[in-house]
Amino acid sequence: MTQERKKGIRARIVVVEVFFFSFILLLGANAVKIQILDSNDLARKAENEYTGTVRIQGKRGEILDRNMNRLGTTIDALSVAASAKKIENPAKDARAIASVLKIDPVKLRKRLSSRRSFVPIKRKISPAEARELKALDIKGLIFQNDVIRFYPNRTLAGQVIGFTGSDAKGLEGLEYGYDSVLQGQRTRLTVTKDATGRQLDPEKRLQERFSGGSLVLTIDRNIQYLSETALEDVVSRFRARSGMAVVMRPKTGEILAMALYPEFNPNAFSEFTRESWRNRVVTDPFEPGSVMKVFVAASAMDKGYCTSKSIFFCENGAYKVGSKVIHDTHESGWLTLGQILKYSSNIGMVKITETTGKQALYDSLTGFGFGRKTGLGSPGESSGTLSSPGKWSTIDTSAITFGQGMSVTALQLAVGFSAIANDGVLMRPLLVQKTLLNTGETDQEFKPQVQRRVISKHTARTVRKMMRSVVSEGGTGFSAALEGYSVCGKTGTAQKVAKGGGGYSKYLYTAAFAGFAPEVNPELVVVVVVDEPRKSHYGSVVAAPAFKSILAESFHYLNIPPDLEQEQIVARVSDGAKS
Amino acid sequence: MFDRRLIECFDWGLLVITLLIGSVGLGVLYSAVTAGDVSAIHVLFKKQIVWMGAGFFIMFTSMLVHYKYLDKGSVAIYAGCVALLIMVLVCGKYVGGSRRWLALGPFTMQPSELMKLSLIIMISSVYSGAASEEGLGFRDLVRPGLVLALPFMLIVKQPDLGTALLLLFITACITLFVKVEKRVFITCASICAAAVPLVWFVLKDYQKARILTFLNPDRDPLGAGYHIIQSKIAIGSGMLFGKGYLKGTQNALAFLPEQHTDFILSVLAEEWGLLGCAVLLFLYFLLLIWGLNISYSCRDMFGSILAFGITIMIFWQIFINVGMIMGLMPVVGVPLPLISYGGSSVITNMAGIGILMNISMRRFASS
Repeated sequence: MTQERKKGIRARIVVVEVFFFSFILLLGANAVKIQILDSNDLARKAENEYTGTVRIQGKRGEILDRNMNRLGTTIDALSVAASAKKIENPAKDARAIASVLKIDPVKLRKRLSSRRSFVPIKRKISPAEARELKALDIKGLIFQNDVIRFYPNRTLAGQVIGFTGSDAKGLEGLEYGYDSVLQGQRTRLTVTKDATGRQLDPEKRLQERFSGGSLVLTIDRNIQYLSETALEDVVSRFRARSGMAVVMRPKTGEILAMALYPEFNPNAFSEFTRESWRNRVVTDPFEPGSVMKVFVAASAMDKGYCTSKSIFFCENGAYKVGSKVIHDTHESGWLTLGQILKYSSNIGMVKITETTGKQALYDSLTGFGFGRKTGLGSPGESSGTLSSPGKWSTIDTSAITFGQGMSVTALQLAVGFSAIANDGVLMRPLLVQKTLLNTGETDQEFKPQVQRRVISKHTARTVRKMMRSVVSEGGTGFSAALEGYSVCGKTGTAQKVAKGGGGYSKYLYTAAFAGFAPEVNPELVVVVVVDEPRKSHYGSVVAAPAFKSILAESFHYLNIPPDLEQEQIVARVSDGAKS
Repeated sequence: MFDRRLIECFDWGLLVITLLIGSVGLGVLYSAVTAGDVSAIHVLFKKQIVWMGAGFFIMFTSMLVHYKYLDKGSVAIYAGCVALLIMVLVCGKYVGGSRRWLALGPFTMQPSELMKLSLIIMISSVYSGAASEEGLGFRDLVRPGLVLALPFMLIVKQPDLGTALLLLFITACITLFVKVEKRVFITCASICAAAVPLVWFVLKDYQKARILTFLNPDRDPLGAGYHIIQSKIAIGSGMLFGKGYLKGTQNALAFLPEQHTDFILSVLAEEWGLLGCAVLLFLYFLLLIWGLNISYSCRDMFGSILAFGITIMIFWQIFINVGMIMGLMPVVGVPLPLISYGGSSVITNMAGIGILMNISMRRFASS
């Protein structure tokens, strides 16, 4: 190359270098503009793109029995809706969808023809329905995640657990009482989405993160089941209106079973009457009848008005109090206190109260917790009715001694008998052992709690001995006797107030049996109440066998060994002992 | 004869710059293809490593042969590439409505990329004989015009207007570099100015849309404007220092389109910020100045034009690509040299740099 040319090239190279420099500078300047000057705006746009807010409804916590078996849980389900705009053939598709979901095809067609972009069709469809719908391959169907509150044991402890409404809010039972614990958190959350709108944190995981706490009950699923079975048996055998039973650990106050019949399935609460939703063990007080005699006798002894050997004249079966005459089923003359309980003499009880006075009667009953709520934590608890003694007439006082003219709940009875079984110390009843955080860790723990000492240990033992005699040969509760175990108990047969007022009915009764075993070291208290049995109305005939069956099966299940020697067992059938 | 001076004159500087840009490229590509999911090394990343390896191999082997043989073989190379372009039109793979690729087993190649280099060689060969101190006359432009027209038409037919125009730009720049007569320059410049409005009528609809979108990206934010809006958002949200390597939200959450090919610089800008952009632009600037220096230092006309042509090819690719992702240019399919994923692009640019080294190390050798 010539020198001249070289110079020309050099000049052009310099031009190009300047050209390169300025163009690169232009790019750099533009980068500065985008990344410095416009950057705040663009960064905000970026954030708007990849973040979104979602409403999270945390899953509702579970209800578990004492062995962590699920009694109430939340399972995933689907809800189906449609984008009506995308439905190609509303008439045909509505018919197909309606036949799968068993809903009205005409209404559905009308709604699908509306051209709206979101038409809800049905909430909480079953997996089988979802499969069938998907198989129809209809364009425009929208499936959304939903949850179902599910009670896997169906009717088991249905009234105790209660249920939730469609918005996962507790409406009855523990679901209602502990709603704040169980309820999942409802929150708005900022989440990261990708370009297709998919959330990076799956909604299911967020639902878990904000899920509610769980309840661990003191209920034992098996004892609950066997109690319900025994109730079903007794209610159907005596064509009774209903029945209830409570199984309680007297030393701790833990309730192992709280059974009701007729049954109730919270999975389909709307198919049952409102009446059957309630946990009547705590909500419905009734006149208990003779089972109350135990508490009256216990207090009289404890306060020193009498001893187990004190004798009272029982007027041979008829005793005029004011304008009324009180009768005994068994006509008796002089009876010891023990015998009064054993034969369940109403006149004997009236005589005892005549020595103590009505204030002492009132104090003894309130001491055992009657007329007051137990504080169980199950909603709608009733305190029963026990008016103040100032308002009592003579006949009122007399009636109250044998459990008429006042009312109690089955739970109150169980708590009162537990105090006797627990050497005179009244425990607070426990239905919920603890609450768990959604991580599974214990949140709150409810330990057995002593309320107060009601009677002395000595009195308690004496009363137990008396109650033992009730369940021995010749006693009114002999049909509750259980082979191998020293069973203590008391029958009760109460007249019910006639419907429409006008005093007591001659046909409507409440048959009850309450007791515990073994005598020296009671493991379980069982209360059985049967409402309006028809073939027979005596607590001894109606309720005692159910009591026995619950006690026997529970002992077997809990491996509680017999406390009696084989030869002590009386195996003869009693000749119709009555309360 | 093997000359010891070849080793002594080896252009280490150019090699270092190339390696630096190449490593930046692999790093950004890793982030772009994994898009937030680092559980497995993406197959595209592995492929790109293979391409880079192949590129370096071609780079070094091409150095062993004196570049004057390229002059002699220019017609053969040119004819080969034209043949490949014809093959694309006959049996190429359709991707996104255009035929640009030839399938080669698991790999695909884009002959239009290779065409860039072979056209530069061919044009250099033509001009090295025709250049004079007065500059080129009209007559001298006929042959190079034909040399350009053939591949230009073939590529427009694919259609790939971006690459075709790139060929035109490269040829024009080389022509200016070689020097044209004043009247030729004036005539050509006026023809070009007059032709620009006419071009509008031969453009296809999607090409018109791209230009309208370029002028106003918000015209169709979810359609044609989507690429450019997303690209700007990614770059801008990177700010001064970036969001951190592998932490680009717009990349990882798939808002960025074509983030491993044409829009890869958006990933770099998002994750490394203005600082990363500046470093890369500086490296490119060094590369370009280096190339010009080689062109200037070369003693023979062919080598000088060739080195210039390769440099200008790299420049236009950088400028069009960077301008595009920043919204300064319409969206055209031009990859970023040594950074974008794509075998043909890597090979073409590596081979080009290999030729630059070839010219550079023989600058003192007697011809």
